Amino acid sequence: MQLQALMMFAADAQKTQELVTLVPWTFILQILNLFLQMYLIKRFLFKPINNILEKRKELADKEIREARAAKEEADSLKDQYESSLTNAHAEAAQIVSDAQKEAQNKADAMVKEAQQEASDIKARAAADIEQEKKKAINEAKDEIGGLAMDIAGKVVEKEINEADHKKLIDDFISKVGA
Amino acid sequence: MSNDFSVVGPKIYATIHTGIPVLGDINITETLVVSWIVMAIITGLCIFLTRDLKTENISKRQAFAEMLVEMGNNFVRNNTGGNKFDKLIPFVSALFATSVISNLISLVGLRSPTADLSTEAAWAVVVFIMITSTKIKANGVGGYLKGFTTPIAVMTPFNILSELATPVSMACRHFGNILSGVVIDGLIYWALGLASAALFGLIPGAVGNFLSKIPILGFGIPAITGVYFDWFSGCMQAFIFCMLTVMYIANAAEEG
Repeated sequence: MQLQALMMFAADAQKTQELVTLVPWTFILQILNLFLQMYLIKRFLFKPINNILEKRKELADKEIREARAAKEEADSLKDQYESSLTNAHAEAAQIVSDAQKEAQNKADAMVKEAQQEASDIKARAAADIEQEKKKAINEAKDEIGGLAMDIAGKVVEKEINEADHKKLIDDFISKVGA
Repeated sequence: MSNDFSVVGPKIYATIHTGIPVLGDINITETLVVSWIVMAIITGLCIFLTRDLKTENISKRQAFAEMLVEMGNNFVRNNTGGNKFDKLIPFVSALFATSVISNLISLVGLRSPTADLSTEAAWAVVVFIMITSTKIKANGVGGYLKGFTTPIAVMTPFNILSELATPVSMACRHFGNILSGVVIDGLIYWALGLASAALFGLIPGAVGNFLSKIPILGFGIPAITGVYFDWFSGCMQAFIFCMLTVMYIANAAEEG
């Protein structure tokens, strides 16, 4: 209210522009003002804010990149672990099967050896027995031959000496006993 | 209190004689002075909003500044469909901010710079030059001139007319709305002043004489009408002007 009244009084006291008119200098200055305002807004609002937005975006991107890299590393490590675990499993299985095989082989060899030995022993025993038998037979044959010779000698000697007879028998017995 | 009602143009504070023909003298009018105040307000606001920016844990002030920037970016990008016109963002933002603050500055009792046709004409001519240069850039000079003869050669005068009507309509639309706000506000204040003078003049004696000089009814009621004529109209016209600017320039680039 006051304003309009003042404006009206001012109209008397002060020069005013026409209400609807185009003033060339105002026009030009307003164009310049607009571009100046554009520069100022660009300089003082858009530049710093866009900078900070860019920085934040970079920060976020960096974090995402890092997270991705970390995930990749973790994945590769996991793969590595898994493969090494698989390897370890395979190796363990290999070792076990090797051990089993070896044990089996050893056992087989042992059994075979034992069998071999047993059969050897048996064979040797049989041979020994055979030899002993032969020896015994030979000895017995020798003994019998000797005995027969002795007996024959004794028979011849008896006619020579009655007194020696007894002694001879004793000798013989003791010889046989020995 | 006068019983006459009149709306006058912006005051002329000083005149600088240039002696240049056609352009005439430079008048430092209310329009220019308030324009500079508006620019100072906008620039001060920008500087205030962008103090100590941080990437993390931002203040409300920074969030608001970022919101404004994002709004500007989205406004231009959504209406042009892409990042092709990112150069325009500061221009459109400046246009919008200047327009809004200029329209609303009438609320504190200053005269809107936008209530002067020279202001809107200046803006509209800048936009018109941008539209034309975009068209020439998109189609070449030949293509641009040939565009006037479409769809048939007979249409050429009408096409030229409609081309020229663009800045005129943009300037006059904005100016007319703001000026009508000024006129309506002036009328309301004037009428309320008369009404309160008549009402309190009924009280006899010195009291009535004194009270009738104070436009008591002028307090409160204009705030309600101001919601439409100043706030709504002011924001709407700024928005329409910027929207048309962006649309015209985006269309200009698509032609051909």
